[in-house]
Amino acid sequence: MSNSLRHEISKALTAAAIVLYIPANFLPVMTITITGKVEPLTVMGGVMELYTTGLAPVAAVVFLASIVVPAVKLFSLSWMLSLHGSGVAQARRMKVHAFLLRIGTWAMIDIFLLSILAAVGQLGILASVQAENGALFFGSMIICTLYAADIYKPHMIWHSTSPQTT
Amino acid sequence: MVKTSQPGRTMPAALAFSTAALITLIPANMNPILIFSVAGNSQENLIITGVEALWNEGFEPLGALVFFSAIFAPFVYLLALTYVSASWNFRLHPPFLKAAFRFAESLEDWNLLPVFAIACVVSVVKLRTLGTVSWEPGSLWILAAAIFTMLAIQCFDKKCVEPHVEGAK
Repeated sequence: MSNSLRHEISKALTAAAIVLYIPANFLPVMTITITGKVEPLTVMGGVMELYTTGLAPVAAVVFLASIVVPAVKLFSLSWMLSLHGSGVAQARRMKVHAFLLRIGTWAMIDIFLLSILAAVGQLGILASVQAENGALFFGSMIICTLYAADIYKPHMIWHSTSPQTT
Repeated sequence: MVKTSQPGRTMPAALAFSTAALITLIPANMNPILIFSVAGNSQENLIITGVEALWNEGFEPLGALVFFSAIFAPFVYLLALTYVSASWNFRLHPPFLKAAFRFAESLEDWNLLPVFAIACVVSVVKLRTLGTVSWEPGSLWILAAAIFTMLAIQCFDKKCVEPHVEGAK
């Protein structure tokens, strides 16, 4: 695969992830029904609930992994891709790329959390957890950011697309 | 003769840790992680129960994603890692060595057991407010498998394995 094609695909995936980020965060990811009380939860709603009822550190972990990490990934991907072919901040872009790969999968915590809650939430009217469409957007968003970072190879940072006249 | 920077000195440890991780994955997948109960009714769950639940609720892509990243990828990744480490340690060139090495490289980012372990902790905190939750042995096995995998990755010396793999026919 050529470098410019990799760059184009990476840009397309980043753009798709930015679009998906909106429904992923505004649509409910799950509906929890406990003894007849129906409660739809968005990602942020889940964090707020953990903060008020549970432990603040746990809420912080989920907040970091599922809201901050994807946002940081999208910002730094756009920054890195927009500078493709230029000679600006190449060493810094290498560091950012390595960092992107390292933090990449932590947003999956929300999908796993949903799978565990859905597994134990099969007690009918007493307690049921139903996945909602927001989770689909969330999952697609994670996969888009993962592949956007993966398909853009670090050595491409040092390539120039335009022939330089030196 | 002791050399502190002898190439590949961590490779026996990589073999040991990846084998240990592979073995602990079996009880991690066979034992319930936690039991949740409300008003006398209880439900236990394994990793695969979550996959089934999402699949049955009509969210097949999410079920498949959880199956791939929490069950399939860690297992085949460790299988490939053990295969390559064993061939290095015993100076063997078994078939498909190069393929196994490339495969392990491509799956490295998809090893999500540590993330799953954290998700277990979060789910217990969340469920505590809704009913009674109790930890089951499966969670400890998952934690053990996650730790062994991370140690195996740390000990696996890519730079030193690559020439060995490339030399294979």
